[in-house]
Amino acid sequence: MARAGRSGATVPARAGAAAGLRVKPGYVLVASLPALLLLVGVFAFPIVQSIQLSFSDWRGFGPIDIIGLDNYAEVLTSGEFWGSLRLTVVFTVLATTGIVLCALLLAVAVTRNQRGDGVFRAIWFLPAIVPGTAAAVFWSISVQPQTGLVNEILGLLGLGNGHAWLAQPATALYVVVGVAVWISTAFPFLLLAGAIDRVPPEIYEAARIDGAGQWRQFWSFTLPLIRAVLTMVIALQLIWNFNAFTLVYGMTKGGPAGSTTILPVLLYQEGFKNGDFGTAAAMGVLSSLILVAVGLVTLRRSAAKAAGE
Amino acid sequence: MNRLSAAGWLAFKLVTTVIVVFPFIFILLLSFRSMTDIYRNPLGLTGNWVPQNFVDAWNGPPGGTGFGHYFLNSVVVVIVAVVLAAVIGALAAYFVSLLPARWRSRVLMIPLIATIVPTVALLIPFFQVFSAWGMLNNPVAVGVLYAGLSLPMTILILHAFFLDFPTELREAAALDGLGHLFTFVRVVIPLSRPSLLAVSLLNLIWVWGETQIAIVLLQKATSQTIPVGVLTFQSAFMSNLGPIFAGLSLATIPVLVVYFVFNRSISRGVSMGGTFR
Repeated sequence: MARAGRSGATVPARAGAAAGLRVKPGYVLVASLPALLLLVGVFAFPIVQSIQLSFSDWRGFGPIDIIGLDNYAEVLTSGEFWGSLRLTVVFTVLATTGIVLCALLLAVAVTRNQRGDGVFRAIWFLPAIVPGTAAAVFWSISVQPQTGLVNEILGLLGLGNGHAWLAQPATALYVVVGVAVWISTAFPFLLLAGAIDRVPPEIYEAARIDGAGQWRQFWSFTLPLIRAVLTMVIALQLIWNFNAFTLVYGMTKGGPAGSTTILPVLLYQEGFKNGDFGTAAAMGVLSSLILVAVGLVTLRRSAAKAAGE
Repeated sequence: MNRLSAAGWLAFKLVTTVIVVFPFIFILLLSFRSMTDIYRNPLGLTGNWVPQNFVDAWNGPPGGTGFGHYFLNSVVVVIVAVVLAAVIGALAAYFVSLLPARWRSRVLMIPLIATIVPTVALLIPFFQVFSAWGMLNNPVAVGVLYAGLSLPMTILILHAFFLDFPTELREAAALDGLGHLFTFVRVVIPLSRPSLLAVSLLNLIWVWGETQIAIVLLQKATSQTIPVGVLTFQSAFMSNLGPIFAGLSLATIPVLVVYFVFNRSISRGVSMGGTFR
């Protein structure tokens, strides 16, 4: 790091943002050094280390012996990985779709200049505040047959109170998706409501004079005008849901019968339950590659759209 | 027609509010009821009032750990992470904002790229290094790690804010003979409190709920934070729902209080581009 410091200081000093407030690049480097060190320690170094570990047979202790591509061969030829990837994609797509649609609907509901909208906004953001495991544990207890709150309510409505959705491989994933929607709608909701707030009111007035109904106004004016924020929201949700360890692990630990073992859960089990850290690291590298690819494609798309507008 | 649609929207809003609020109310209500009453009639209010649930949750199961430990660990982790991220982040963000535009945009690529690094790629190396350096089960070390993970967003938001900081104020400080560091500490920081608060609150909420990393680095029960404790607790108390719900209350109430007190600051942080990490 000392080397970097010296070479940074040799950069010729330029004028600061404002005349008379010149700041030497060396000074900036010294002031940012703690942040830089921490960022390198927490992001850059672990990424390199992750790749190294993925080529090793490290079992949680002792030296790291490189064994080449064996872990990747093992992961890529195992049905477990591909099954889990399929589950992850299904979960990500369903959760993202549900979350974005709900967030849009809620955002429209509180941006119609009605009294009390501020209060609704404040309350609807609450699920974003709760620790994920607390929500996961609450909902998993609530969908238990007979004794759970959700089943009790369904029983009162005459729909039966014996549903063991979380215990059945065919339905467990959908319960988790539902809870993901409950937890994760709040954040994009607030972002989208903010974006709709920034749409100039004259546009709606003009639309009303032309006789455009609510649906028409939303489809032809609101939606195109918030597209930049919407694309960002979708990209973030895809990435976050692909990574949804906390909720899934908190509700099902990956069960029943592996029916909710999405990749982050599989990685955790492989590393921290089976002690196969090399294989787990390889899974981490592969998931990250997929995520970065998804992120880049979505971002490029949004950039292209922004350029086209 | 208009009135009809207004009524429809209001009904929709009320139903949504019920769905959003219902878990909070029941976590609180059920945490005061006995196990048999919860099993017999989860929706009702019959039976005894059992504040003992909170005592059980705080002390944990016999021979186990309870929320007393988890709470303390969470507080330690939050303080270390939030304070460190704010101090280090503000320092970097301010001085980077003084650089010429060309340099600034290059330097900011570092936090920008860091925000897209997924946790799955970092988890195993974190464990390996913490294990090699004897820092497993150490909440302070995890707090430092969280500070690092919160830095990218902290720097990006504060940098955007510092860019708009009135130049005249900094010039006045320079005329008074204050150096860069003094200007930063005496002039810039006091006037940036709302932004620092907004960013710190987002960091606090993220750290309070973080599970994926904590479950791996804090495996000993006495070192665990609240979100991991909630899971440990669920298996320890298995069939006794009262203390589990009391635990969920203890996990949720502190952030709820923070949210209700600072709700404006938090929405401001979100609109400034903040996320929970």
